[in-house]
Amino acid sequence: MADESKPFFPVESAHHVKPPPPRRPQSLTPESRFWRSFRHSELASGLILPVTALEFSPVAPYHVAAACSAAVHLFDGAASPSLAPLPHSPLSGFSDIAYSPSFRCDGALLAAGGESGLVQVFRVDKAGPPLRRLRAHGRPVRVVRYPRLADKIHLFSGGDDALLAYWDVSSEAQVVSFPGAHRDYIRAGSASPTSPEVFATGSYDHTVKLWDIRVPPGSNPFLGFGHGDPVESVLFLPSGGLLATAGGNVVKIWDIITGGKLIHTIESHNKTVTSLCLGRIKNESPSHDGGEPRLLSVSIDGYMKSFDFSTFKITHSMRYPAQLLSVGFSPSGNARVVGTSDGVIYMGMKKRKRQEEKGTNAASELDGFIPEPEKQVLRPTNYRYFHRGKSEKPQDTDYVIQRAAKVKLAEHDKLLKKFWHKEALVVALSQKSASSVAAVMEELVARKKLLKCVANLDVDELGLLLRFLHKNATSPRYARFLMGLTKKVLEMRAYDIQSNNNLRICVRNLKRMIAEEIQIQRTLQEIQGMISPLLVIAGR
Amino acid sequence: MILGGQSLVSSPPVFSHDGKKLLVCTGFTVSIFSTSTGMKITELEGGHTDRVTSVVVVPVAAPSSKFISYCWTSSLDGTICYWDFSVPELIKKVKVQLPIHSMVIPNISCTPIGSSEKTSNHYAFISVEDLTISADENKAFRGQIQIYNLTKSRRVGGLLAETRKPALLSASKNGEFLGITNKRKLDIWKIPSNDFRIDEIKKIKLHHTKKLTAFAFHPKLRMVAGGDVTGRILIWIGVGRRKFSGDSQATNKKKNLTDEEKPGVRNNDDADSCSTWHWHPSEIKFLSFSSDGAYLYSGGKEGVIVIWQVDTGKKKFKPRLGSPLLYFTESPDPSLSCVTCADNHIHLLKMPTMEITKSIAGIKLPFSYPVGHKGLCTQVAYDETAGLIAVPTEDYCVQFFSLFDNHEVSEVQVCKRNFQPVDDVTLYLALVSVSLDGSLMGTVDVKIPEDGLGGLVSLKFWMRGSRIAEYSLSTVIYEPHSDAEISSLAFRPGHRMAVTSSFGGDFKVWIHNSYIKSNDQLHQRTGWRCQSVGSYKGRPMTAAAFSADGSVLAIAAESVVTLWDPDSNLLVAVIGDTHSPITSLSFIGNSEYLVSLTCGSTPQLAVLSTSKLRLSWSYKLVAEALSSSRDTSQFAVLVLLNSQDKVEGKENGVILLFDVEDPVPVATWMVKKAKGGSVAFIPANPSSDEIKAMDGEKPSLLVYVNGDHEYIIFDPHNMDNRIGKSSRTSQIALEEAGLAGMLGYASIYGDLSNLNPKQDQVPEITFAPSERPWETIFNGSSHVLPPLTKLCSTFLASLIEKKPSMSE
Repeated sequence: MADESKPFFPVESAHHVKPPPPRRPQSLTPESRFWRSFRHSELASGLILPVTALEFSPVAPYHVAAACSAAVHLFDGAASPSLAPLPHSPLSGFSDIAYSPSFRCDGALLAAGGESGLVQVFRVDKAGPPLRRLRAHGRPVRVVRYPRLADKIHLFSGGDDALLAYWDVSSEAQVVSFPGAHRDYIRAGSASPTSPEVFATGSYDHTVKLWDIRVPPGSNPFLGFGHGDPVESVLFLPSGGLLATAGGNVVKIWDIITGGKLIHTIESHNKTVTSLCLGRIKNESPSHDGGEPRLLSVSIDGYMKSFDFSTFKITHSMRYPAQLLSVGFSPSGNARVVGTSDGVIYMGMKKRKRQEEKGTNAASELDGFIPEPEKQVLRPTNYRYFHRGKSEKPQDTDYVIQRAAKVKLAEHDKLLKKFWHKEALVVALSQKSASSVAAVMEELVARKKLLKCVANLDVDELGLLLRFLHKNATSPRYARFLMGLTKKVLEMRAYDIQSNNNLRICVRNLKRMIAEEIQIQRTLQEIQGMISPLLVIAGR
Repeated sequence: MILGGQSLVSSPPVFSHDGKKLLVCTGFTVSIFSTSTGMKITELEGGHTDRVTSVVVVPVAAPSSKFISYCWTSSLDGTICYWDFSVPELIKKVKVQLPIHSMVIPNISCTPIGSSEKTSNHYAFISVEDLTISADENKAFRGQIQIYNLTKSRRVGGLLAETRKPALLSASKNGEFLGITNKRKLDIWKIPSNDFRIDEIKKIKLHHTKKLTAFAFHPKLRMVAGGDVTGRILIWIGVGRRKFSGDSQATNKKKNLTDEEKPGVRNNDDADSCSTWHWHPSEIKFLSFSSDGAYLYSGGKEGVIVIWQVDTGKKKFKPRLGSPLLYFTESPDPSLSCVTCADNHIHLLKMPTMEITKSIAGIKLPFSYPVGHKGLCTQVAYDETAGLIAVPTEDYCVQFFSLFDNHEVSEVQVCKRNFQPVDDVTLYLALVSVSLDGSLMGTVDVKIPEDGLGGLVSLKFWMRGSRIAEYSLSTVIYEPHSDAEISSLAFRPGHRMAVTSSFGGDFKVWIHNSYIKSNDQLHQRTGWRCQSVGSYKGRPMTAAAFSADGSVLAIAAESVVTLWDPDSNLLVAVIGDTHSPITSLSFIGNSEYLVSLTCGSTPQLAVLSTSKLRLSWSYKLVAEALSSSRDTSQFAVLVLLNSQDKVEGKENGVILLFDVEDPVPVATWMVKKAKGGSVAFIPANPSSDEIKAMDGEKPSLLVYVNGDHEYIIFDPHNMDNRIGKSSRTSQIALEEAGLAGMLGYASIYGDLSNLNPKQDQVPEITFAPSERPWETIFNGSSHVLPPLTKLCSTFLASLIEKKPSMSE
């Protein structure tokens, strides 16, 4: 039932083959929208040497530590709109390259390894010499991790000498050490999120081992399995029961509760996966606490991928212009940093609205009363008085009446709507889109106005038409129609064409084109003549 | 028996006094529609025996009498009826004797019901046709305007006016003025409002130089707007100040005459000034002032409502209503009005924005095909299972209309073009075909070339969506038979296959297939493509039909019928030889017979037997349409009687129901307006209780759609239901005429009915194609033919095989 009068139909050519609808960009999923909502910038670009590790502090304001060359750079997570280096950054107590910064669970201390084999512990809040120096490793220490739970005095470190050490930091003494924990460099390690005594290490000997310092040293490691490639990164997933390991081009997810069963293999990277970290998708609804967790992986091939390990699907993929070595995601969900092999740290920041809200709330809780924000009453003397309510946004509960979407019409459609036929033809001709010209011409035929339009064209417009015909009259899509039109135009406007020099040139071009076309047809016929006997023979 | 498809637009609709109902004249009855839903509520029937021409709703004054709803109706049968349309019930009938073409009751608003207890006299002004004067007389005044006292049911006074044709009366809102358009002038009468006396009626004339077609009174001021055939609108201000004002203003009047110029007023008319507005390019069909008098609505043939601001002359437009406009009616509710379109639609408009809220849709009217169009056009196509007819419309749509429910189901826009009602026809829907189960639709639209340039035939295939009669475009095929026109389009029952035949000498079989494009992802696409092409001796193909089981394809190649296997595209047999091109073909149910219709100089209805490959019997008849029932061996033919006198309303067609075995018709019915009509068998609607009352089996019904798209559905086997007089006499007369017109074999040997039992015994041998391969081997288009060497061997082999069988 016609509830609405007919819409205006724009003209379209019968011979114009519609292109397939353009592939919608993948921004359609809310996930991709989330990842794209980060504002990108380069955090630090003058570092030159590879950024081997990035680590966010577990407590607000979520500082970032980046290990690069012989220093650990600290960036202020509270700075807005982007991270800014802390005044005492970088921490440069290293004699050689610094590796693997790790924050203590309260964010007050930072431990980092180094090329020299020394593990050092720094204060985060101010500059100064290292508080503790842990000496045991003879080779570079690439793995230094604080436990993630409330254990403030221990940490573990693993080095290229295959030694795994568990330290009591305050006394600078090893509690337990496992010489020859692996048969190759230890390059990856992760502390369990559920118990402070459990940690996993990964090594270039293709194996991943899990350690628990509560059990007697003889029974350690309590679990070990082979990844299949040199392990670059190991990460406990938030439940503590799953472990993600990266090595080679693949990321594998293991179930450690069932004794190291391989659950899933992600083969989405083309080159070695260098680092893993946990991210969280923030939903718009505030009811979600942290949002859904995601596993972020970066690789030498320049891609950062977001992996949903509840559904085992890659949900987003992002390309950077360099080889990626490290990745970090702020626990606040507002910042994401990626370190590259050429010393550039790419940063993505979200606007921190919620952060500020939290801040004010916290303040008011302290004060015990909520200060009324002073509201200025607008008076007619104020300029803004006359603009009040202009930028008002609808509430969720409001019923929004959309203004009817304005129909976008091409220029020639607008003119056709006004029955300005010749003008529509001229506009279409000057736009140089063959299909729209053909569409307008067909519409004019349907209105029986084409020949009248042709008769009314002035000399310049006739030149336009002849040039169009020269270009398109032999294209197979429109040939049947345009050849006839060309003939008609030449018949009707013979006098004008003879009297104008430019038009004569156009007609000469047309002539040449027709000669070429005849030549082509002849050649095609020859070819047809050659092929058809062959086809007949082949048919037998 | 179900009647339907009446015109909703024969006369202006009227709103009820609360604006919730709309009274529309539909044929012999008045239908009442709800303005909020657009659906029919009830019908005023039984009062009139001819077309109802006008409705006047009695207004109410007191709120207590809100529920009272009365109306007067007038009809061509010469009666005026008084109804209570809320019940609905006929209360009173007044006989006038002469056909009433228009009626107004101006005083009715002055004395509304409920204001006074005593019934005052109602005076109706009626425009009647004087039947005593025949239409042949050139300058005869056939139209008369009479005054009738409805309360006392008698005529009052003499004639108010005489006109050439019965005029359309129109009264002002307050009932003070009454007027008609009379060629180049407006005749306006002032009616005394309080005490009606016939001798107090005064008349003035307003002159113009063009024929006036519409006019309107301003509701408050003495202002009259008139529209003429060229699209101009004239506004007369101060109409009748001289004559209609009382004697008290005589001095004023003299002053006016002497002092003031009267700009624009012709012939010393009684008006102060006359101004002209011009926007409409063609004839104005209606003019109407808004109830407050601030705006004037005008509409014309080009289908645009123009809203004029009366004070300033500024315009606003409501375009693209898609059809010539006829009437505009304002409701008592200021936010509602309706516009009546010539395509049998009434659109309810939400007032300030002129937005269409609801449409009351009747069946769309047939349109005239442009000259130079070859072949048959589909008048209507049937979706038999759903009981729908598909009507190709002038504005490039296919309207689906439910036969049993008598309302529009949907409308499918076939060509994406805006329809301009004023323009010449340059694009039209030539063919529409719906598959048997209604899941597929095919349309053919033709664009007429301008001076040999840019003509285009496009074939479109549509797939039905989830709901009935909701089709979405599947495939467009431009120029399916290069530039030749398509003569017919048929779907194969039970398959997704269609055939088109063209005058260019070939037919194409189209199949629907879905293929999976696997370049990057699984990407399923569906579409129609040509499976095979066939031709027969280069003759134009004029008609095509599939047999009921879909196993045989019959194509009429001008005068012969060729039978094909649709799957392998092999010519199976050739039957018949008529003198003129065959225009229509149909297989009869599950019998082995085929009916063909031939038009032209030697019209013929021929029944062909596919088992014997020859003509069975034939008549020399001008047949308009043909339909065969699917389960029985009957078929119906709509025959035009070539009567010379073209008096309207006379029966000019006959529906003949034949059984295929017997050339004597089973039944005949005389029908009106047969030109452009069509017949079809449809299965009975299970929901209609009328059918349920009969025996358990589902009988098939016959539907007849006449040239104005009015239709009747009846059971051809039930004698009680027949329309018209199923008079024996006419049937006998036809039989004689039919026998005289028999051709060929039938004319010599009579009918072949006694031969039929034999055929029934051997129904297995249907076409026996292998017996005469030399007929079929060399037929077919060149690309289908195998090389000659292959053909030769089969040809010889067939000859060799033939011998022993012959000797046996």
